[in-house]
Amino acid sequence: MMNWHLAPYFFVSGITNGSIYALIALGFCLIQNATGLVNFAQGEFVMLGAMMVFTFYHIIGLPMPVAFILAVAAVALIGVALERGPIRHSRNRDILTLVMITVGASISIRGASMMVWGKNAHIYPAFGGDSPVFILNAAVLPQSLWIMGLTLVVLVLLYLFFHRTLLGKAVRAVADNPHGAVLIGISVRRLVALAFGLSGAMGAMAGILITPITSMSYDAGLMLGLKGFAAGILGGSGSTLGAVVGGLLLGVLESFGAGLVSSAYKDAIAFLILLLILFVKPAGLFGSVRVRRL
Amino acid sequence: MSLHVAPPRNWKALLLTAAILWAIPLAVRNDYFLLLFNVMALNALVVLGLNLLIASTGQVSLGHAAFYGLGAYLSAIASTTLQWPLPLAFLAALLCVALIAFLLAIPTLRLEGNYLVMATLGFNIIVTILFTQMEEFTGGPSGFPGIPRLSLGPLSISTDRHFYYFIWTLFLILFAFTLNLTDSRVGRALLAIHERDLTSETLGIPTYRYKVTTFVLSALYAALAGFCYAHYVTFISPKTFDILYSVQVLTMVVVGGMGSIWGGLAGTVVLTSLPELLHRFEDLHVLLYGLILMGVLIFSPQGLVPAVLSLLQRARPDSEAAGSGNEALLVERALESLRSGRTLNLRCAPAGTGTASSGPEGAGGLLDIRNVSLGFGGLQALNEVGFQVNSCQVVALIGPNGAGKTTLLNVISGLLKPDMGQVVLDGRDMVGMPPHRVAECGVGRTFQAVQIYQHFSVLENLLLGYHVEGGAGFLSAGLRTPSERREERRLRERAMDLLASFDLSDKASLPVMQLTLLEQKLLEMARSLAFSPRVLLLDEPVGGLNPKESEVLVGYITLLRRNGMGIILVEHDMNVVMRIADRIEVLQHGCLIASGTPREVQQNPKVITAYLGVRKS
Repeated sequence: MMNWHLAPYFFVSGITNGSIYALIALGFCLIQNATGLVNFAQGEFVMLGAMMVFTFYHIIGLPMPVAFILAVAAVALIGVALERGPIRHSRNRDILTLVMITVGASISIRGASMMVWGKNAHIYPAFGGDSPVFILNAAVLPQSLWIMGLTLVVLVLLYLFFHRTLLGKAVRAVADNPHGAVLIGISVRRLVALAFGLSGAMGAMAGILITPITSMSYDAGLMLGLKGFAAGILGGSGSTLGAVVGGLLLGVLESFGAGLVSSAYKDAIAFLILLLILFVKPAGLFGSVRVRRL
Repeated sequence: MSLHVAPPRNWKALLLTAAILWAIPLAVRNDYFLLLFNVMALNALVVLGLNLLIASTGQVSLGHAAFYGLGAYLSAIASTTLQWPLPLAFLAALLCVALIAFLLAIPTLRLEGNYLVMATLGFNIIVTILFTQMEEFTGGPSGFPGIPRLSLGPLSISTDRHFYYFIWTLFLILFAFTLNLTDSRVGRALLAIHERDLTSETLGIPTYRYKVTTFVLSALYAALAGFCYAHYVTFISPKTFDILYSVQVLTMVVVGGMGSIWGGLAGTVVLTSLPELLHRFEDLHVLLYGLILMGVLIFSPQGLVPAVLSLLQRARPDSEAAGSGNEALLVERALESLRSGRTLNLRCAPAGTGTASSGPEGAGGLLDIRNVSLGFGGLQALNEVGFQVNSCQVVALIGPNGAGKTTLLNVISGLLKPDMGQVVLDGRDMVGMPPHRVAECGVGRTFQAVQIYQHFSVLENLLLGYHVEGGAGFLSAGLRTPSERREERRLRERAMDLLASFDLSDKASLPVMQLTLLEQKLLEMARSLAFSPRVLLLDEPVGGLNPKESEVLVGYITLLRRNGMGIILVEHDMNVVMRIADRIEVLQHGCLIASGTPREVQQNPKVITAYLGVRKS
């Protein structure tokens, strides 16, 4: 039962989802580079972004661009708060403890969101209407174009930030060698907070963009977050380029897998890929294995 | 082989727990409460396994709900759909889970970092999806009904009360097993892996194998709980085994104190009862679990139970006024006894074939390093380095910082794999062996920064060195068989003997952090001698010591040489090097630039310019 004639459609939907995964993976990557942590609450950022737009747009009635910006800013603040509060005040600096604190944060946010937004899925209209555009035989939703376009914009901005601004270079310096960065006068604490803020913003964007297509409920963050993580591992843990390529690749693989095999197992595909990568090439496509010292 | 098994050392606490558990159903008339206790026992079983995993690998699994679920579903399918007899279904379910856990552990436990958390989390999600989607086998989202109750022959467990006695007995047996395991040679090694896995590896502890074994064991506990659950409630659905359950059991572990077996039980009791008390606020549960998990980790990361215990202990007067006598005097005394020709009570290196190194065919020494090269990216850390070490010989390896000295030691002990070359001990190439195999072959080492285990006493630190000398595995350790106990006693005796040789007997039970730097270094040296190595690698042994102290250490090195040990000594202190080295090899930028006797090297112009400095005339 091969639906190969649908290939262009699978491809477009794969790239659409892949862009979202890439954004989430970038969020993981930022925090991991700045602190060495895997932030389990990343997926909750995604969910929160969408839920806030829902509130701002549907409940309060703000125009969409305003709701969009407000939601991104709010989640960025929540990201900073996560770092400033629980993570910074942890008495034990052990990585495992910090990672588990983010697990706790993730569950707390999920629980709180259930009480605020209820158990139902929420949705709001797509940015560019619902009438599809035809590109190369494939019907493409305007929302897909928005997703790809905005992801591209974010990538360009991030690139400029990291390579053209002093602050961005400082973040890269911290990722490379935190102790060295402190010694030359970089405030690592502020940059870590910045990393959490940025990754909150990117997570929120991902959630806001995908919701008109898939809708969003309080418990959807975990799955999206994990897929972003899987994308990051696929591309190479800690590599920015890897996060983007891994995200797109994962989106496409998942889309074709679901289309050609069975959509019931769509969500399982990402994790099979995750396990496979860990098995075959744990450094990912673009990552390098670090040498450990005693 | 006797079949006698023994209870854990603190059997009194265990007996008390058993007595309380036995009394509860007598006091509780309402069977609903027994249901709560039964759920508690199931949780406690999963928590027990998870704790064992955390205690030994220092890694966390967020996939134990999946193993719990697999135990339940596999057994349900085997016993209900396939109509297999219960014992067979039980075996099949557990074997399958063991296999799955094994396959999952192999790639992930090899990696450093948080991969296990993610891999197990991903695994849990896949398993939940499978439970929901494979409707023809699992009944899909609506669940799997009609599972037979537990029974064996005429005995059937049909009421909450029966199940209570059954499940808690089972739990207590496994609890005792786990306590025994953690209090044994294997358990010590597991804790050591958690604290410093690479160091443990160089002591001959097969860290990777132990981690995988523990993971499988831990998954089996969960699967066993799942099996009992399925045949107790007779109906299962995917919702029970989703990721939230994994987080719940993890929270129980954290509240009880990660890695604390007793704490885990307490955490389970508290957190299983809590939702019952908050029965009316069901929507709050998720938030509550999240907040508890986060709060405990932030404010009391060692867990609530250990925190309370340490508060109680602080209230008691401190009996250990660390005997910080006159250290200088102790050093003097040690020096005197070394000068007055004491001998080390060591099992000499077995006189194998290779020890006849001074023989005419002496093509290879005891340890033969041949053409070893290793590059890190663009940096050539070692470039065709080769030399030999014989027994009764101290070869000093000197060179400026960054010359590749420690890198070479790491290559020899298997921590790094060279791009090229061989490291031959007794005619056997060790390149490619994992560090613990290299240690077993007879290579002991100490480290530049002392690598002792802070959570262990002096004696326990030394006992880690005896790991390869013991043979008792997980099973006999858990059952505390007589042969295991004999072996443990024997190892302890030998460790005490060795401590005596290093004048550390009276400090055997002290925490290692109370030792002076010299004593720590001596302890580390003693530990590396415990498994009777043929070759000893000493990485800056006298670094940080004052001249008197370093003389004590040099005294021991000389004694070791006299006992037949081949020694590679990396050292910056030229006085020490010139005094005790039989040969010196000089490394610079990864290349050997000179070798010979101390006198030859001292006069070598290359060495003088590269390292010792050019004299202005």
